[in-house]
Amino acid sequence: MLVGANAVSDALNSSEWVFPIFECFHITALAWSIGMIALVDLRLLGVGIQHSTSSELARATELWTLIGLSTVLMSGPVLFLSDPRMYLYNSSFRFKMYALAIALIFNFTIHRKVALSDGSPRLFRVLTAVVSLALWASVVFGGLFIAFV
Amino acid sequence: MTLIRESRLVYPVIMSIHLTCIALFGGMIVITDLRLLGWALQSRSIADVVNGLRWWKRLGFVIMASMGILLAGSKAETYYPNPFFWTKLSLLGLVLIHAVIFRPRVYNHPEHLDASPAAPSRAKAAGALSLVLWTSVLCAGRLIGYYESPATATRNTSSATATSSRQQQRL
Repeated sequence: MLVGANAVSDALNSSEWVFPIFECFHITALAWSIGMIALVDLRLLGVGIQHSTSSELARATELWTLIGLSTVLMSGPVLFLSDPRMYLYNSSFRFKMYALAIALIFNFTIHRKVALSDGSPRLFRVLTAVVSLALWASVVFGGLFIAFV
Repeated sequence: MTLIRESRLVYPVIMSIHLTCIALFGGMIVITDLRLLGWALQSRSIADVVNGLRWWKRLGFVIMASMGILLAGSKAETYYPNPFFWTKLSLLGLVLIHAVIFRPRVYNHPEHLDASPAAPSRAKAAGALSLVLWTSVLCAGRLIGYYESPATATRNTSSATATSSRQQQRL
């Protein structure tokens, strides 16, 4: 797998601007996707756009969250391929990948279910929001710390 | 020793908080802009969205700006010669001008915008410009990490390969 990635790595490292440009996409889309999920989380906590229900907010942001997430998930592997060996041996990167996997699964299962049913108990809603925010924050921290470990 | 280890950690931690806030509060800016453009949350009035998020966006801005000042302040000598840092500050200046222009016309009286069936063009202009400006701020901010001052560049050329020098720039 790593041998095959060499050609890609070379292409990505041939210009000093390719990596930063993909990173800009990655970060902008991160704000779109996690930001939209956070809006729903805040609503589950009972703050933010109070007038709309969490299900309404979840449906309204769904498309934008998906657009953001797919941009993040497409630009991420490109960044990874610029230097696969470094990333694979980077403990923060591995932490980020585990956190991301859990965050994604959580988002499309429990989070989605709770947000779409407005009648779920308050404790359950708050817990879901806190777990969701903590998971996505872990992903961001893990990503940033790749450059510092 | 503890001090060195701490200072090694504090900077990335502040940066992570800065970035997490971008994710949390950036979404509020995005949803407001999308609503102004008429692309999302159409079932709710503009007033609901703008008023509901007003204080959260202010809180987010204060946290983000404080973290930013800490980041730039702690490494003032590397930020000062960095053109991307000044680009980012200029863009934030434009954000301020955006606020001066559009606050009295759009954000302070969102009820007026809901009066007409379609959002007026000034609301759409405010939303579109805000999206463009904040995206530019984000990108300029990210690029700060890629600028290598001529002094550092000459010091690094002999030993650093493309990848390892980029590793350093990522900081």
